[in-house]
Amino acid sequence: MFTSKKVIILNINKIIFSSLDIRDVYQTMSNELLKVIDFDRLSVTLISEDNNLYENFVLSKDYEDTALKEGVLYPMEGSLMKRVVQFREPVIVGDTSEGRFLTDAVLFKEGIRSRLGFPLEYKGKVIGSVNFGIKQKDYYSKKHIHFFSQIAPQLALAIENTRLFSKIKEAEKKYRDIIESSPDIIFECTNEGEFLLMSPAVEKITGYPADQFYRNRGYGLSLCHSDDQERVQNEILLLLHGLRGILLDLEFRVIHKEGMIVWLSIEALPIKEGNTIVGIEGFCREITERKKLEELKNHLIRDVTHELKTPVAKIEMAVDMFERSLKTGSAGVPERGAQVQEILRNNIGRLKNSMKNILEISRLESGMEPLKVSNVSLNEVVKQVVSEMTGAATGKGNVVVNGMPSDFPTIRADREKIYQLLVHLIDNAIKFTEQGKICISAMVLPDALEVTIGDTGRGLEEESKKRVFEKFYKETPSAYGSGIGLAICKNIVQIHKGRIWVESKGKGMGSQFIFTLPLQRTVS
Amino acid sequence: MKEILIIEDDQEMQEFYKDMLQGEQFVVTLASNADEGLKKAKEKNYDLVILDILMEGVTGDRIFAALRKDSRYRNVPVIMASALDEKTYRCFQALGNVSFLEKPFNKENLLGVIAKRL
Repeated sequence: MFTSKKVIILNINKIIFSSLDIRDVYQTMSNELLKVIDFDRLSVTLISEDNNLYENFVLSKDYEDTALKEGVLYPMEGSLMKRVVQFREPVIVGDTSEGRFLTDAVLFKEGIRSRLGFPLEYKGKVIGSVNFGIKQKDYYSKKHIHFFSQIAPQLALAIENTRLFSKIKEAEKKYRDIIESSPDIIFECTNEGEFLLMSPAVEKITGYPADQFYRNRGYGLSLCHSDDQERVQNEILLLLHGLRGILLDLEFRVIHKEGMIVWLSIEALPIKEGNTIVGIEGFCREITERKKLEELKNHLIRDVTHELKTPVAKIEMAVDMFERSLKTGSAGVPERGAQVQEILRNNIGRLKNSMKNILEISRLESGMEPLKVSNVSLNEVVKQVVSEMTGAATGKGNVVVNGMPSDFPTIRADREKIYQLLVHLIDNAIKFTEQGKICISAMVLPDALEVTIGDTGRGLEEESKKRVFEKFYKETPSAYGSGIGLAICKNIVQIHKGRIWVESKGKGMGSQFIFTLPLQRTVS
Repeated sequence: MKEILIIEDDQEMQEFYKDMLQGEQFVVTLASNADEGLKKAKEKNYDLVILDILMEGVTGDRIFAALRKDSRYRNVPVIMASALDEKTYRCFQALGNVSFLEKPFNKENLLGVIAKRL
């Protein structure tokens, strides 16, 4: 009998450590335990951190219909548990009908008559208890206590392991969730270029699923834009050879599955095992939008600089030319003087115009200037602009036709802005038309007015049509004009909640600039 | 005498070139756009080409590439002129036998850069 008990104890201890989670083997353990200690109810309870509550951690499967349920927290006060913890020794209840503990009364109703509570200690601290309950009165004795004391330490250790294991699992899940939901590509790869981790964001960013990276060694680098490949490879080699501690904000391009260029910024650290670098880990952030904005900004700066520097350069060169003519002799001086005067006037005019337009677009874009809304008659504004600009038009052999219908409705708008809009559009038409016709016409749509400024001039190709409303865009960079006029037009139309676009059948085919303004609506 | 082709679409700039190179030991030919420039380049073997970078329709890099494609112009010196600074056009430098001329320039600057390349 003694030997068999010993075998059973060994067996139980083996069962306890056969899994990292005690709950997995609890049933097997309690079946084995039944061979040596009788019980109808077996539970493991754990104390909460503040010692006020205890959790019914596990309960035997065949005892489910109970008031003290598995996974639920109960108050320590008045429980058998409290007594076990307090005295750090086993407690026997001979008859629950006496109601020594609050839990006795509860279990008595369920038919449990005697109980044994056994403390579970881990590193000198009581972490919980194992509780036996049986329908027989005065069942448990010192014999049971002695027997179970050979199992309790192992059980306590196993429970502590379970708790640690749960914590690790929880932390791992949290870590996995972060990786799975991260908009950045999180990766880990060996120094052989084999990916140990590639977060799913990679598919959204590059078009290629993560498993493609797991399957193919060095796949990441092969997606790199050929101009950036060497640079990226060198930087990674520096990390792997320990010549650099960290890789920060290295920007490079990859080719998306659909063929477009995607900009990424990489941050990476070497993975070390002892003193050996075995791989790298880090993340890649997509920065395509930022790069596009940067490029746009650089173009803008380049264009503004060009626009302002060119006339200044020419003024300087004109003065230089005049000085030289003075030095070399009198023969050509008067003609040179006239020529220089002409160049100076042209370029000072160009500068003034650029500055005026730059200030205008800045004001419009800042949105700081409120619209001065009133009832505006487009007929009246068009008439004014046409009469002011006919001179400039006829100078180039052009005819301006005012084709506005006489009964055109008024709109709520900022008159000064509408005037500017028409000046820029008609000026633009004159600029690109020689010996031709410029016609202003309009019609009433259900909820808007549509105005067309058409010309028989140079026309626009597809590329220019797309870009013509961009700030500083000029089809002919050296042409007179700031390249802002149409950007101002677009802005004016937009703040009036209208639309503007251009139609042209191509080079030499003339163009139509068309804008709409909402009808009978107050513009805020 | 050395032959120079200047491709520049700005009339005023053309005047400056003419004025500065007048009386110097060069034969100067002016072209007002890229097409005209490339056509003229084909008609005669020029010793040097001066190219405005920002012109109607095409940018200087395209004219430059077209010029270099012609075997006769593979090694002919080119001077790129622009109101923007040299940094903006760093990429041209790698192409070889190119000088940069920033506008504004005076007669001295122009003759200097021509002398360096011829």
